[in-house]
Amino acid sequence: MKTVEEIKAAIEAAVPDARVEIVANPSVSGQHSLRLTPSRAIEVATFLRDGLKFDYLSNVTGVDWPDKEIAEKVKVTREVTKVEDGVEQTAQETVEETRKRVEPGCLEAVYHLYSMSLKQGPLVLRMRTLNRTDQAELPSLTPVWRSAEFQEREIWDLYGIVFSGHPDLRRLLMWDGFKDHPMRRDYVEPDDFEYEPTAHDDVLKRAEAHRAAHATAGAAGHEATGGEQ
Amino acid sequence: MAVEEGLKIELGKQGVLVTTIEELYNWGRRSSIWPMQFGLACCAIEMIATTMARYDLARFGAEVFRPSPRQADLMIISGTVTKKMAPQVVRLYNQMAEPKYVIAMGACAISGGPFKQGYNVLKGIDRYIPVDVHIPGCPPRPEALLQAFMTLQKKIDAQPLTGEGRPRHLDAEAQGEFPVPVQGEHDLEPTSNPGVWTVPVVIR
Amino acid sequence: MVSSPYFSLLVLFVAALGFGLAPLGLAWLWGKAFSPAKPNKIKNAIYECGLESRGDAWVQFRSAYYLYAIIFLIFDVEAVFLLPFAVAFTGLGAAACGAMLVFVLMLVEGLAWAWGKGVLTWA
Repeated sequence: MKTVEEIKAAIEAAVPDARVEIVANPSVSGQHSLRLTPSRAIEVATFLRDGLKFDYLSNVTGVDWPDKEIAEKVKVTREVTKVEDGVEQTAQETVEETRKRVEPGCLEAVYHLYSMSLKQGPLVLRMRTLNRTDQAELPSLTPVWRSAEFQEREIWDLYGIVFSGHPDLRRLLMWDGFKDHPMRRDYVEPDDFEYEPTAHDDVLKRAEAHRAAHATAGAAGHEATGGEQ
Repeated sequence: MAVEEGLKIELGKQGVLVTTIEELYNWGRRSSIWPMQFGLACCAIEMIATTMARYDLARFGAEVFRPSPRQADLMIISGTVTKKMAPQVVRLYNQMAEPKYVIAMGACAISGGPFKQGYNVLKGIDRYIPVDVHIPGCPPRPEALLQAFMTLQKKIDAQPLTGEGRPRHLDAEAQGEFPVPVQGEHDLEPTSNPGVWTVPVVIR
Repeated sequence: MVSSPYFSLLVLFVAALGFGLAPLGLAWLWGKAFSPAKPNKIKNAIYECGLESRGDAWVQFRSAYYLYAIIFLIFDVEAVFLLPFAVAFTGLGAAACGAMLVFVLMLVEGLAWAWGKGVLTWA
């Protein structure tokens, strides 16, 4: 079995302008993965299939990386002007500052490849979209591995990654008129928490919020309709 | 009008059978409940097991699973009803001829079960159609389904032919059509049929 | 007429017919009298699988489907004629064997033609 480093070198030799990045896995399994640039993904995938004989795509899945606010402490050196004994003095001062920055989120598609003929695998490929909203687009690998078709449809359904070049990109699990992508972290479920007899944790919060919102609305509705139920 | 129970037994010992139209009619109805042949999830496996030799649903006259809603009397909601499937289930229920009954089998069918908070699962089929018997369990054993059948038979037996509590098909005023929910942009619309389901009062 | 030997048969026939039709008629009368019809659009829909039907049932199928039917017929007809031939094989002369061979060869020719046309390959 080739290591990911060897595979990376082979890819870069075969597809010169493909930039491949190794994503290290610090756990015991040490299953490192390769992150591809989406623009050259088709060429790299074709090379992996034909050149390195990764002929079996077993699994495609999606990951949602929401926008992350990172607070980090930075040591800042700045000049401070002090008035000391009637004389202005400029001195260097090092202050610790907390800076907040927002790391933009993205959507990621993860492909698990095996080689049936060489009895190798798995090789994990990753591809990231530019952002989570208007540029959530990745090239479809269905032209290379047919087994990606339904799984990419499922990822489009649940995460909202648009796979360009997919032969039939429709929703797979939800209905066609559905607008949301329910596996995203920021998905808000419809508020149907009116009856939760054994609620706890998050559900309890949602149920209580529903009850609070409904108590006021319900009272107003009662006067208007002359009492329901 | 009705014959006294003690007298009836006494007459039966003498070889005289006495009955009423109501009893005869309900006996016929409860002894030939034809379920509709469809399964939604893993509970369907238990439903199939119930019809097989070991549990033998035929003892209750209900072995004839009909593949068409027009010929079925009973709908066994055997398994998880997803929001994608719910309109189809309600439409099938509408297409069944009266008198029709519904058994909600298993945790998912009665409340959504382990998937209740899922984005894709209906929180109980009783939000859209009237359910006669609920069976808890995940999945319920075949014995539980048999118990539900016997409960349903008792329920049919107790239905008078006239007056309050008569079966829906003898009641010109009774609701005949149950609105099919529409798959909207975020959820089914409406989320429940208020004519069938109102929010149960939870006593805390 | 009563003396006719078939009269008892007629009586039995009418009785049998009545035995079948009487419950149906009673049920129909019962339904007319006591259970009001409540038709609605969903209930009267033609399709019975829960899905809404759309489009027309009169659509054209690709002719490729019929090729499969024809090939099925080749094997089916072959089996239908081969079976009695095999059963009566010991009592048959050389001429019958020759005739059967010609028949089988004709079907094989059809099969070879279909094979050459690429009908037997999927997709």
